[in-house]
Amino acid sequence: MSITPRSSQQRNVDARGVRFSASLTALVLAVALVLANPALVVIQGAVFAIGALLGPHRSPYSLLFRRVIAPRLYSPAEPEPIAPPQFAQSVGLLFVLLALVGALLSSPLFVIATGLAFAAALVNAAFGYCLGCQMYLLIARTRRRLIPAK
Amino acid sequence: MSLSTSGVLTLVGMTALALALAMFDRRRRGRFRSARHSSAEYVEWQNRLGRHLGQDVTFVQFSSAFCAPCRATRLTLADVAERDPGVAHIEIDAESHLDLVRELNILSTPTTIVLDAKGATVARSVGAPRKDQVLLLVQGIRNSQSSSQ
Repeated sequence: MSITPRSSQQRNVDARGVRFSASLTALVLAVALVLANPALVVIQGAVFAIGALLGPHRSPYSLLFRRVIAPRLYSPAEPEPIAPPQFAQSVGLLFVLLALVGALLSSPLFVIATGLAFAAALVNAAFGYCLGCQMYLLIARTRRRLIPAK
Repeated sequence: MSLSTSGVLTLVGMTALALALAMFDRRRRGRFRSARHSSAEYVEWQNRLGRHLGQDVTFVQFSSAFCAPCRATRLTLADVAERDPGVAHIEIDAESHLDLVRELNILSTPTTIVLDAKGATVARSVGAPRKDQVLLLVQGIRNSQSSSQ
């Protein structure tokens, strides 16, 4: 997905791959909702976990994109910083964990959390929404307030 | 294979919600909103930043790292400032100026605060503005400044 040579410090990823992964995510979560199937949510959670811990370029969806989709695309690669999509994967993972708690408790939390994760993936895939930009500053502001300034 | 009613309803509801929010947000992004009468926010920009204001208009852009729209905003505003000697563009890293961020209630980046010749805030925009919006705003500020003299 990146056009830079393989290195331990991956700094950029291909935005097209990020959006493709979001499309697959939205599809998996939509099916999970319609079939009320927590197993699919678990699978999506595993994908999120890989993306959050190892980087979005290592997730199975990205590998699929690089091997199968990207070679067939005419559009050029669109490098973007890795941090926001990686952060988004951990947010997705959080929602999946909430959904699974909901499934265990047979509570509406399952459909709500899965639905919200689906909505986030949908706007990412359809509109290329930069959620990282939105949350990044809010978090920085809050973090500084919680940790007393030197 | 049976379908879950609550699942289908949630799916439809979430899709509608997501699309509605995205379309609503898309229209508002980058648009300049008048801020002339906003509460006591007069900032001594030249003292705080040590940068000179523009002769007619100053665009103060708050950016942060890992922000693609910030880059687009920078390109647009820097281009206008370069071509127009009365317009200045100042870019600030939000994280290094959290005091200003809190004073001005800035919640996301890019946020652009637009100042007139005296350094008073006249407008602000969240998200990347289009160049025609920027040029229109500059024109509008010039008109109101010359008519008030």
